[in-house]
Amino acid sequence: MSNIQFHAGGLAIEVRGLKVTLGDTQVLRGVDFHVPKGRIVALIGPNGSGKTTLLRCLLGLQTPGAGEIRLFGEKLCPALLRRVGYVPQRLSLDRSFVLSVREFLALKLRETRGWFWQPHRVTDAAMKATLEEFDVVRLLDRPIAGLSGGQLQRVLIAFSLLGNPELLLLDEPTAGVDTPGEHSFYELITEVHRRHRLTVVLVSHDLSMVFRHASRVYALNGVICCEGTPEEVMSADSLKQAYGIHVTPYHHDHSPGHQHLHVQ
Amino acid sequence: MFSEPYMQRALWTAVLLAPLCGLLGVFVTARRMSFFSDTVAHSALAGVAAGLWLGMPDPTWAMLFVSLLVAGLILWLKERTQLLSDTIMALLMSTFMALGVTGFSLLKGFRGELHRYLFGDILSVGSGDVWVAGGVAAVVGVVVFRLLNPLTLLTVQEDLAHVAGIPVRRLNYVFVVLLTAVVALSIRLLGIILVTSLLVIPPATARNLARNFRQHLALSVLGGLVGGIGGVAASYQFDLPCGPTIVLTCAALFILSLPVAQLRRPRPEPQ
Repeated sequence: MSNIQFHAGGLAIEVRGLKVTLGDTQVLRGVDFHVPKGRIVALIGPNGSGKTTLLRCLLGLQTPGAGEIRLFGEKLCPALLRRVGYVPQRLSLDRSFVLSVREFLALKLRETRGWFWQPHRVTDAAMKATLEEFDVVRLLDRPIAGLSGGQLQRVLIAFSLLGNPELLLLDEPTAGVDTPGEHSFYELITEVHRRHRLTVVLVSHDLSMVFRHASRVYALNGVICCEGTPEEVMSADSLKQAYGIHVTPYHHDHSPGHQHLHVQ
Repeated sequence: MFSEPYMQRALWTAVLLAPLCGLLGVFVTARRMSFFSDTVAHSALAGVAAGLWLGMPDPTWAMLFVSLLVAGLILWLKERTQLLSDTIMALLMSTFMALGVTGFSLLKGFRGELHRYLFGDILSVGSGDVWVAGGVAAVVGVVVFRLLNPLTLLTVQEDLAHVAGIPVRRLNYVFVVLLTAVVALSIRLLGIILVTSLLVIPPATARNLARNFRQHLALSVLGGLVGGIGGVAASYQFDLPCGPTIVLTCAALFILSLPVAQLRRPRPEPQ
């Protein structure tokens, strides 16, 4: 692996020999994965390749059978997660759960933890910068269970950034978002990355969006099959290593002006 | 009506436990745990039978012990087996209910007691029950409001709660213990069959009226309180069984809230 150049700036994530077995299946078979600080990187791979499992290991939600995970040079521990923001794929909320966007965001900050007793203006003032940055002020009174996919993703990013993380992990963040929404979502991530100088790890199926916005791509299929710049990984040979020998990349249109790259 | 000592005891128990059921019920319904509370309530029958068989004049502690045991077994089997939660709960509920009914059939002279525990009886609330209810109400109320943020985030999504530094497993256990204690103690008033209704109906009524989670919690507590007091009063006034009367009062409030829910149906908003 060509990681020596990144060590100088420091690594946000360092994974060595990670192995995870779920049931009878060895999902991760010795993953080595290094992410330099301050980059947007993408983790791609077919269904069942272990992308979500790797992400869960990074978040301490899954205990690996073997291997080591370091974040910011330190061995993974619950205290380190304070420096991590996480945007899940979706929230499985029942519509009967009437938590408003304001109340949801207030769960994150220490100064808004008294939201139950606090007047709204106090809660809003504590979160003002984030509310304006992500344009969620007009959504504050809406229940989160009733938001559209795109609105929910914006709220989830605002939530994760309220803790001022240094590393943002996004798990299939545009699942359930329409194509224009997907486009503006990735623009937003790029903007967030630039403004907050974050390290961003995107787990995604949508190769064209990932290739447009990530500076480095890792293709996973039980192990990291290939890594490099988007141009390097997009070569058919590299993708075949990750997706199997019958894979060829192809483009197709979802709507005018939004061409997508998929594999078949 | 409330000059009678037994009515005062029943009323105090209702005032202490019914709002608590409303408060916990918001989380129970959002976390789809009503079958869990049904399971620990039904299993308490085995505790009642065991308490009476051991010669305890008041089987409250035996009931509480068995309910907590069953709650622990549900969590343990969920973690250690591949069985679905529904299967585990149905299995334990029927087994412990059968143990309770069999235990009662072996006891002589307690047939009337079975009916009291199944459907609730204001006459069966002793002064000790009121003190225990008061203690539990104070502890559960303080703990829930102290843990309101982590508990709410846990309800939104366990993974998000974990990343936010919340000890998810420990908090789940705390919630289960609080819920089980409240369910077991409410059986005196509501009965085994109906106790879950107080965890479900006031939150459902509140949901019809609330615009946010703060209102949902407050209105659910209020709904539990009104249903509890109204039910106990109606039970005395019309000489009706206590548990069903409380449930019917809560159900009447729910029906009254339906037109408001219709008026508040969300209209499509611009994206």
